[in-house]
Amino acid sequence: MRIVLDDVRISREEWSLSARGIFTEGTHLVSGDIGSGKTTLSLMLAGLLKPSSGTIGREEIVSRMISFQFPEHHVTGSTLREECASWGIDPDTVLASVNLTGKEDFPPLKLSRGELKRLHLACVMAKQYDLLILDEPFSSLDCREKERICNDLSLCTQGITIIFTHEQMQFPRVDFIWEITGGSLCSRGRLPDALPAWEHAPAVIKKLIRRGNLPENLTQKDLMEAACRT
Amino acid sequence: MITIRDLRCGLLDIGSLDIEPGITSIIGPNGSGKTTLLKLLAGITIPESGEILVDDRSPRNVETGWVNEFPDRNILFDTVADEVASPLRFRRIPCNETSRRVTSHLEFMHVTHLSTRSIRELSGGEKILVAIAAAAIHHPDLLVLDECDSHLNESRAQETDQLLKETGARYIIRCTQQMESAARSDRLIYLEQGRVIHNGSPPEVFSSLASSAFYPLSWRCGL
Repeated sequence: MRIVLDDVRISREEWSLSARGIFTEGTHLVSGDIGSGKTTLSLMLAGLLKPSSGTIGREEIVSRMISFQFPEHHVTGSTLREECASWGIDPDTVLASVNLTGKEDFPPLKLSRGELKRLHLACVMAKQYDLLILDEPFSSLDCREKERICNDLSLCTQGITIIFTHEQMQFPRVDFIWEITGGSLCSRGRLPDALPAWEHAPAVIKKLIRRGNLPENLTQKDLMEAACRT
Repeated sequence: MITIRDLRCGLLDIGSLDIEPGITSIIGPNGSGKTTLLKLLAGITIPESGEILVDDRSPRNVETGWVNEFPDRNILFDTVADEVASPLRFRRIPCNETSRRVTSHLEFMHVTHLSTRSIRELSGGEKILVAIAAAAIHHPDLLVLDECDSHLNESRAQETDQLLKETGARYIIRCTQQMESAARSDRLIYLEQGRVIHNGSPPEVFSSLASSAFYPLSWRCGL
């Protein structure tokens, strides 16, 4: 199972993004500046946007799912019950898992953005996919929820998971780091060796590396272990 | 000083709270009433009971800039330049002056390169920068920002914090789920289930949250 990007390019007026490389099974983290093309790349990988040139091959991928940056763009139901049912899952179970029991008849768009994101991610994570693309999955979630989602993602060991994020504090266990820089997608490789070359690394990780304490991975446990290392 | 007394609105229940000028971050779990409090401070919502005064004025009598947590709900016009100009046009500022101020403000917010773009085509972070620019162009006394930094990377969030200080707004009140960002504020308010649980400087509030997921990672790592 893999995704092969062969000389992919997409452009718009003066802006362009080039990408080549192979996403293999495991969890990939993609970072980049605002407007660098993270969402554009996520849409291309999901097959929702065609590149201007080049090809994207999805080998042995049968099921795929993309979680958009804005949870409100996923909403199709007029109540929480309808919204959960639209994902083909039992509303009672999902709503209980995100502490929204009792709000079955509440309109999804009247939830706080964090609550809506929490519900949306619970609907996404209720099933397994060969390819799971998450565009800014942690935005709007409170710190406890970020921690919970990161734990769930760390347990996800099958298929390809690609996370696009500028999160600085909470991460799941990640296998590969990529970043968009200078209009191109660059592979920084497998963790932990990828970390010193990661330009968009959170300030905490950069400080740990400067101290000579390279974390094994990105989870809070890994970062704390590196911080406490003598 | 912003004074809140006997405030009730939905889940929110605040007996007494004073907010001094500067940057105040409101933190807490999802659904704890942060957005409700921000909407009350901005005058978008009227309290069911109780009182909010901003320097002895009702929020609706204060020049306020507001940025919604749903980026698309901030957009009224198509292009960035028109959106940022809109607060001045609504105030019937002459065209020449509007044009001059928009040019200089886009430069100040480092978004000049976006001026002719359609906002709907922008990335989430770019939409928020434009919304902040529109909220700040008429020099509000009070800037209310609902989780703007959830769409910004760290370097851009730090840069934006600096720009916000330079807008001259007497009060900048925001909610955030980025604790590194919250730690840069002058003061913090921690809400849970509609009530103010902690209120004070970042070291004071975070010392009460040291064992929780809300404690900043850099502090936990001693960095």
